[in-house]
Amino acid sequence: MINKTEVDQSPLDIIRQNQRLEERANFIKAIFLDIFFVFYSILVLQRAIYYKFILDLREIPFSWGSILTIFLISVFIGTGWTFTRTSLSCKLFGIAKDNKVTKWTVEISGWFLFNITFIAGWIITKLSIVDLFSPEGVQGAERLFGALFRPEFGIFDDALFAMIETIYIALLATLISIPITLVISFFTARNLMKGSKITFAVYFVLRLVLNFIRSIEPLIWAIIFSVWVGIGPFAGMIALLVHTIASNAKLYSEAIEGIEQGPVEAITATGANKIQVVWYAVVPQIVLPFLSFTIYRWDINVRMATIIGLVGGGGIGTMLMQYQGLARWHEVGLIVLMIALVVWIMDYISAKIREAIY
Amino acid sequence: MILKVENLHKIYKNGTHALKGINFEVKKGEFLVIIGLSGSGKSTLLRCINRLVEPTAGRVKFLGKDITHVTGEELRKVKTQIGMVFQHFNLINRHSVLKNVISGKLGQMKTLNSIFGNFTDDIYEEAYRNLDIVGIKEKAKERANSLSGGQQQRVAIARSLMQSPKLLLADEPVASLDPATSNSVMKFFEKVNKEFGTTVICNLHFLSLVRRFATRVIALKSGEIIYEGEPSEIDENWFKTIYGDEAEEVEIR
Repeated sequence: MINKTEVDQSPLDIIRQNQRLEERANFIKAIFLDIFFVFYSILVLQRAIYYKFILDLREIPFSWGSILTIFLISVFIGTGWTFTRTSLSCKLFGIAKDNKVTKWTVEISGWFLFNITFIAGWIITKLSIVDLFSPEGVQGAERLFGALFRPEFGIFDDALFAMIETIYIALLATLISIPITLVISFFTARNLMKGSKITFAVYFVLRLVLNFIRSIEPLIWAIIFSVWVGIGPFAGMIALLVHTIASNAKLYSEAIEGIEQGPVEAITATGANKIQVVWYAVVPQIVLPFLSFTIYRWDINVRMATIIGLVGGGGIGTMLMQYQGLARWHEVGLIVLMIALVVWIMDYISAKIREAIY
Repeated sequence: MILKVENLHKIYKNGTHALKGINFEVKKGEFLVIIGLSGSGKSTLLRCINRLVEPTAGRVKFLGKDITHVTGEELRKVKTQIGMVFQHFNLINRHSVLKNVISGKLGQMKTLNSIFGNFTDDIYEEAYRNLDIVGIKEKAKERANSLSGGQQQRVAIARSLMQSPKLLLADEPVASLDPATSNSVMKFFEKVNKEFGTTVICNLHFLSLVRRFATRVIALKSGEIIYEGEPSEIDENWFKTIYGDEAEEVEIR
């Protein structure tokens, strides 16, 4: 906040100015949050609790007009609420009056928000104890479990081959991801990139792209790539690769952000340039976490590779899908057993390796 | 005059006014000690001198040149001439002692050479020589974090010597060491100061160490200089002014 142009100002003025700016920013944030709180409460009360629960409507009436009306009402109430300086958001941003009214509003509105959220969740998920313990349902589950626990060993060879394919899909996705992630992670570490406006822009855009990629599940990526490169193990591998890069880049760059600043300071003080500082003070601190994340990710990828097979990503998942489609539960039982065994072994091995390198 | 600080202010983003108009000069070959409570601005002051922290207002003149606003390559040139030693040593734990010492030379090396570890024989020789000066040549191949605190700080001193610094800054270099080790580490600063004529500015807490090593003392209190003079002149009254009425002097030898 302090620019060079302000250097000639008296320091006390700068402090006061900073405080004023911060307070104003917090007040604006509080207004938005209060409007959101009110908007959310009215919506939940009207839609979930009134329409769905009390009136028990199948089709909930929807019109942008009514939403807009509710929004305008919320803007009115929310802004008013913030101006009293006793609202929940005022408290959250530290600009509330310190009195009994604030204390009570915060407590009551906090409880209110939590409760309506919980009740709305209950209604929306159609939580039903009756369905869970209905006799027909339980019987069906018993039949299925019975078959699963008497697996068909006739397809053992095929399943083993498919399983090996799955493990290699996961391994290759992990291996290829390493160099790519390594490079990206330095550009998505806040502490390295906040220096200038240009680097910060790069950081911001990269983070945005990675967040977007990560927020799409590998399952969806597999569907996309099975159209792109055709159904099979390659589609599964590349889907895992994309997601692995996006997730690990986040973990790697968080490791970079969490390093001890001391060595960085020391190397900077010797007059070393940026690249030298990264190589000498940052890299030695992150080698072990990187290794550990990567091995753990391999373990996750084996699990994901089985799921990805369900949508045409190859390996054991594809096989599982076929037998499940034919309702041949004994074969499904064998495959599930095999997946469980491999996942358990992978889990154990990766934990042991990670223990060993630390 | 090696260093001149004029009307230096530092205000952190959170509003802390760490330095409030600091003025002082340092002559070549001096051993200047800065004392004051934690939070009095000692560390900020040192970091403003070598620009690890950007001053908000004022001027720092090093070797007659205003370095307050230099940037880029020029700033790195300035930094290579100012060595720094830290309270927590700030070594690279996983690297060998030798590699840690060599890292002091980074500012004067080509980037590619430093990344691929292409160090010339001269650099190795210099590193061993500096390790010899602080008396731990035989530890060169060991991992830095396998050494004791005192030894690590000596490695840090050797690292800063690689810069052949004109000015050596030491930010509470003995604050995490035991009394006996403190004294021996301080002796290495004295050695560097006397034998190479390197100017030293050092933050310290213990007055007994101040009296033993300093040629001049500056006392900071909440960002302002409240005392400047000979170490021997600090009496009971000054001590209470600097450290507060509750304080009592602790002797360490």
